[in-house]
Amino acid sequence: MSADTSAREESTGSTRPPPSPAATYTARPGRASRQRLSTGAAAGFLGPNLILLGVFLFLPLGWAFLISFQESSGFGASGWVGLENYRRLVTDPTFWQSALNTAAFTLITVPSSLALGLGLAVLMNSVLPGRRLFRTLIYLPMVISGIATALMGVLLFDEATGIVNKLLRESGLATVPWQSQGTAAFASVILVTLWIRVGFNMVIYLAGLQGISPELYEAARLEGASSWQQFRYLTVPLVGPSTFFLLIMDVIYSFQVFDTIFVMTGGGPGRSTSVLVTYAYENGFVTRDQSYAAAIGIVIFLITLVFTAIQWRGNRSRDTVG
Amino acid sequence: MTISRRQILGGAGFLAAAAALNGCAGFSGGGTDDGGDGDANTLTFTTWGSAAEEEGFRSGIAAFEAANSGTKVELNLVPYEQIFQNIDAQLQAGTAPDLFRVDYGTIGAYSSQDQLLDLSSYFDTAAAEEFLPAMWQAVQFDGKPFGVPHQTDTSALVYRTDLFEQAGITSVPDSLDSAWTWDEFRQVAEKLRGSIPDDLYPFVYNWQLGGSTRWLSWLFQAGGRLFDDGLTGSAIESDAGTRALEFTQGFFTDALVPPSSSVKSSTYADDAFSAGTTAMAFVGNFVLPGLEENIKDFEWGATYLPRDERGACDLGGNALVATKNARNPELAAEFLKFMTQPDQMSDFCARAMELPTLNSLVGTELDYQTRPDIAGIFVEQATTLEPGDVEQLTAPAMAAINPKLRDELEAAFTQGQPVDRTLANIAAAVDAAAG
Repeated sequence: MSADTSAREESTGSTRPPPSPAATYTARPGRASRQRLSTGAAAGFLGPNLILLGVFLFLPLGWAFLISFQESSGFGASGWVGLENYRRLVTDPTFWQSALNTAAFTLITVPSSLALGLGLAVLMNSVLPGRRLFRTLIYLPMVISGIATALMGVLLFDEATGIVNKLLRESGLATVPWQSQGTAAFASVILVTLWIRVGFNMVIYLAGLQGISPELYEAARLEGASSWQQFRYLTVPLVGPSTFFLLIMDVIYSFQVFDTIFVMTGGGPGRSTSVLVTYAYENGFVTRDQSYAAAIGIVIFLITLVFTAIQWRGNRSRDTVG
Repeated sequence: MTISRRQILGGAGFLAAAAALNGCAGFSGGGTDDGGDGDANTLTFTTWGSAAEEEGFRSGIAAFEAANSGTKVELNLVPYEQIFQNIDAQLQAGTAPDLFRVDYGTIGAYSSQDQLLDLSSYFDTAAAEEFLPAMWQAVQFDGKPFGVPHQTDTSALVYRTDLFEQAGITSVPDSLDSAWTWDEFRQVAEKLRGSIPDDLYPFVYNWQLGGSTRWLSWLFQAGGRLFDDGLTGSAIESDAGTRALEFTQGFFTDALVPPSSSVKSSTYADDAFSAGTTAMAFVGNFVLPGLEENIKDFEWGATYLPRDERGACDLGGNALVATKNARNPELAAEFLKFMTQPDQMSDFCARAMELPTLNSLVGTELDYQTRPDIAGIFVEQATTLEPGDVEQLTAPAMAAINPKLRDELEAAFTQGQPVDRTLANIAAAVDAAAG
């Protein structure tokens, strides 16, 4: 396009004769030069990011992989132990309990946050009064630090002094053992996670919804489709690419949940809310067994990678639909 | 001069990388803003601290700089929750500060890993004898001092006078000798249980958020030990261990403490007491300013910890240490000496409501700003700590044992794990860490 423009400018703004075939031929190295420039620009854009990714992501990842085959000595790793840390994982009941909790957490939070996000997006995409305010309010927890939102979770769910139990008490209802009973503690963490996560899902779905042509709904209405049928057979399939993106993001988020649980329950009561990342943290920074923690980290990485690869292969065509 | 797009992109890339690397310097922490890193007369000092403690450190640093012309101490304040992760990373990266503050339970993890400056040549026998023997013991590893005991603190029992009156409890112990026995304490708690509403609790114990080693006070009171005499294995599977665990497990099974106040709770004991949800609380003296500030609705007093075979308490407080690779070890040791001089220590302790570690200050009245009427209870309570207790509490293996102890106590208190199994699991963790 720029070549055409410059050609037009040359033909209209100049009194020189049209270029000879030889001149046209000499323009070819110019295109090659532009191509080189374009490649250079791409490298310029990508370079800083690749350097940062390399230094702060791939290098530590490779390093963690190496450390996971070594023995911890408190400060740094020493001595090669091969697969010993991974063997230890297999026989460690706390690891399995944490893995099970992580899986349960993921299975509950991902579908719930997707469903709530889509529901809220549909609501916010309609003629709801004050929807800009509601959108902001729902998105707000996402822009606050995870620790701060988790501390708000403590204010809400503290068993003795929390707002939720105070309200229940005032209403004459039984209070919930949010911190002393495993299932309730798990529920409190999930509720706070949904509160944090739903805003992001809503915004992505909202963008997806606003890309759908209103004529499709008009046609469906003319064909006599009910609101539910419009939602089920138009909205849900047409926001497929958003769902695909959110599914991957939410699963990664759920597998890597840490701050909410660390602040709200510390993994307790007992081990009922311990997840893989909190267990890795405990080993790495409390017990100072960094090699074992690195092995747990590698397991989390591999699980996430495998899940994303499966999703990617199974849904490769989704981003071209709708 | 024309600037090409490539130059702009290259420059932007360089700036982004520089900004990112600069951001990392915040994590390394040892660096300074004004280029003091290379100056042998400059010390970097990393600590956490309350507002009062920060004031105390700044005052001490100013006095040190005034007394040592040309020296500079750069104070780096870090939240307690992340200080040791930072220090660990800095030690591994070779960017650690010259000096840092560390609790007595953690100092062994650093000294046993050869990360701290051996202070043997800077503190002779006479200098060492100025400290309380138990506190000097707390900074030793392999017979050598690796820090100076800067202050200590311990727990005592605070109580609401209104709920005591309501329960008909008219007298509380006013001396160490008359401290409640376990049975008497249990009776008081039961009286309170019978007289206060169900959603209030007789007491709360301060073993939350890294405080699980405070449970060992019960073990020591029962005459038990965590380690054997040589600190090479466990000694908790004993009658004393069983009695201590059964007694404390009963706090939960008999609803004497809030069910959410176990060792993994995210709420501190003093917060529960301030909120008015318990009639008594086991608290450290350092929380007294917070209690005084937050409690407006009721009167409160303090008394001694219960005793069984003997009196015992927890070892709180912190040492100041220099790192092995401190740029100017002499100056670092000089700073440690200065900060533990009687006038500096008494000023710091009075400001921060903490207890001194020098023999010369034990009998003196410090100018405590908050509740001077009850400060003496904590001072006296600290004398129930025996050198044998300190030796166990500061053993290097404690760093690895703490998380296991927390897990096992949590399982016993909230999951109904049987006493013998809990003790066996703790013993196995001690054997694994100390063996």
